[in-house]
Amino acid sequence: MHRLLDDYAHENGLRGVSPKLKLAIGVFSIIACIASPMPAVPLAVSACLSAALIALARIPWRLYIGLTAIPLSFALLSASVVALISPGEALVSIGALRLSSEGMWLGLLLVSRTIGGTSSLFFMALTTPMTEIFAILRSMGLPESLVELSMLIYRYIFVLLEEAMMVHSAQDMRMGYSSIRSSISSSAMLASVLFIRAWERGERLMVAMDSRCYSGRMPLVESHSVRLDHLAVSVIYILSITALLLAVIRGGSA
Amino acid sequence: MHIMEGFLPHPWWEIWFAASLPFVAYGVSRIGRMARERRETMPLLAVAGAFIFVLSSLKLPSVTGSCSHPTGTGIGAILFGPWITSVLSTIVLLYQALFLAHGGLSTLGANVFSMGIAGPVVGYLVYRATQRFNLYLAVFLAAALADLATYIVTSLQLALAFPAADGGVLLSLKAFAAVFAITQVPLAVIEGVVSALMFKYILQARSEVLLRLNVVSKMDLVRLQGG
Repeated sequence: MHRLLDDYAHENGLRGVSPKLKLAIGVFSIIACIASPMPAVPLAVSACLSAALIALARIPWRLYIGLTAIPLSFALLSASVVALISPGEALVSIGALRLSSEGMWLGLLLVSRTIGGTSSLFFMALTTPMTEIFAILRSMGLPESLVELSMLIYRYIFVLLEEAMMVHSAQDMRMGYSSIRSSISSSAMLASVLFIRAWERGERLMVAMDSRCYSGRMPLVESHSVRLDHLAVSVIYILSITALLLAVIRGGSA
Repeated sequence: MHIMEGFLPHPWWEIWFAASLPFVAYGVSRIGRMARERRETMPLLAVAGAFIFVLSSLKLPSVTGSCSHPTGTGIGAILFGPWITSVLSTIVLLYQALFLAHGGLSTLGANVFSMGIAGPVVGYLVYRATQRFNLYLAVFLAAALADLATYIVTSLQLALAFPAADGGVLLSLKAFAAVFAITQVPLAVIEGVVSALMFKYILQARSEVLLRLNVVSKMDLVRLQGG
């Protein structure tokens, strides 16, 4: 649970690539997946980006497979609901449940879109450290207070996660979480201790930042520039996915 | 209850972005004003946001045996009000998408609307309405109903995007609501109980924090500690 994806973002094979380029690829892929009327495009996106993650970014493939399992379980559940209620000629009907061929196609399309979208998300999350994303967000003109707040939250997530894990271990050793009842009371205790400590840390943080001349704006490192070979590979990827998308849309309307 | 990346088709993902934007924009302007007026609010808001993230990544014991995640937005709304909670939730949902692959970027608008707006607004209103009678009951109801509101809005979002053949949106709403009820209804009750207990512990340990946040009044405190 606590192996945050950000750890990999700092030490992967694609670290040297311009973060703007990586985000552009990720966002383009997501849009291509949603826009596609057929499963072919999302599956192609997923294949390309998964290959890039495992071969180029050197993300352990077991981890990657494990990560995709979470969204897939939700997608399968929801897609089966969609498949069973969609209009169309019934292929099979079991009691009130009827599966039409249109419903089945829609379900497959949804699952493949989730696969494609999840790969695109992971491509961004596993290769680009959050700090670089902040620099881009700021240059895109998001409100200063929002970027600042996001950065502080990011910093404090790690602090509080560590606190939570320590408290959790301590409770475990003292017979917490041994039954449903004690689990509920342990969880509540953990949450309240976390809130109180978060509050105290917030007050201390304020003093610390004030004494270091905090002006409401954190300095951020500007990112690497785009290299020509990276750009070339990205353009080839984007053009081929776009071509596939157009072909699918044309083929669908013909 | 997150909708996964790629699950909402055009035009629905854009519609939910448009629906969430005014709420979040208003919240951001309020936070910006607070940051200018009172410098010390920013770090406190930051730990509040981190608190909501950590709370929602904790695994709650669930009756069905599976581990479920609380949303944390009900208690967030009680402590910080619905507007600020909507901004904090937006940031938290973005991190959940990027750190844990819960939810997604294209579905961010829809998830913000259900978890960051509908849930906190319901929770806040319920808390303010029932606070007079019994504080712990109010917290329980606010957290549980915020959870249920989130789950119903999510089901509705899916139903609108995928209407059923005969019976349209209503029928598919029933179908989605039924599928998710198995995990979400017990979870809402448990989150309510945990939130109420948490409130009790905070009152015992640091009641002045709740006073400063304007969550409870002096009167409430006297009544709870005296009675």
